[in-house]
Amino acid sequence: MARMDDFRRLEAKGLARAKIRARRRRVSSIRARTIRASLALFAVAWAIVFGQLVTGNDPALSRSYATTRKLADSNRNRKPAPAAAPVEAEVATEPEIEAEAEVEAAPEVEAAPEVEAAPEVEPEVEPEVEAAPEPEAEIEVAPEPEPVVTSAS
Amino acid sequence: MIATTSASVGPHIFWITSRAAGIAAMTLASVAVGAGLLIGRRGGIKGMGGDFRALHEALSLATLVAVAVHGAALLGDHFLHPTIVEIAVPFTSAYRALWTGLGISAGWALAALGLSYYARRWIGQSRWRSLHRLTAIFWLLAIVHSLGSGTDASQPWFLAVLAIPAAPALVLLLAKLSRPAPQPSTSR
Repeated sequence: MARMDDFRRLEAKGLARAKIRARRRRVSSIRARTIRASLALFAVAWAIVFGQLVTGNDPALSRSYATTRKLADSNRNRKPAPAAAPVEAEVATEPEIEAEAEVEAAPEVEAAPEVEAAPEVEPEVEPEVEAAPEPEAEIEVAPEPEPVVTSAS
Repeated sequence: MIATTSASVGPHIFWITSRAAGIAAMTLASVAVGAGLLIGRRGGIKGMGGDFRALHEALSLATLVAVAVHGAALLGDHFLHPTIVEIAVPFTSAYRALWTGLGISAGWALAALGLSYYARRWIGQSRWRSLHRLTAIFWLLAIVHSLGSGTDASQPWFLAVLAIPAAPALVLLLAKLSRPAPQPSTSR
């Protein structure tokens, strides 16, 4: 009878130990998985933020870009005044943003009606002038010969 | 191409790390709160209490590590260039003082309340339990901080990452608050 009790006690102890061992194993597995998941989460978040920055879609940088763009737009509507330049220079501290503002300003010159009108008049005189890299110079040069011609006649 | 990219991103590396750690901290905190609320929940999954406790503990510690990285990484940022005082003491930062201050307060409070688990013997189980309930308030404060001063707060992906783990935790919290408080047990 006593032997039976000892046997049962040993069996219960063994069972309890096995349960504790299994629980420990489960807990350590949960911890390991949590660490791995946390690292993966951090890596994914890092990659997303990095991707935003590299592709130029970063919200912080695009906000400053938007401010510069607004300024560039307002300056475009105004006539070029000497006061406009320092304001833009003050806000656009980053070289990237300044470069973008410059690029934006370029199409405006191309789209101006004066540029379109110039080739219509000039091709007969000098077709090579069309290939000139700066259309602005072309426009400035064009009106000058006319007064000279009229004064001579 | 790679050289140009690394050169342009190089100065922002600490900033990117801080933002990523903040996002990770916020997500982990939400999941940790959810797991914490599932421990000992009546009608919960039977026999999973121990697992939820282990998960809650691991997630809480991971959150604290992420919060530490979130703050420490800013020390290396060339643009903000904060001092240790600015990242450790609430409302001293020059950058969005209120929102940053709320985040720093939440970080310290979460650390204190989370790590108090290991000091239950001295605090007392019932006192610790009532203190630990305050964690939810500071978790909500951390969400407010991330929405107020988070650089990506306007981004849909960030709002999704914030909401997906936070919504179930919030539902569990509201369910817990709506239930009558259990009678304090006399046995310890």
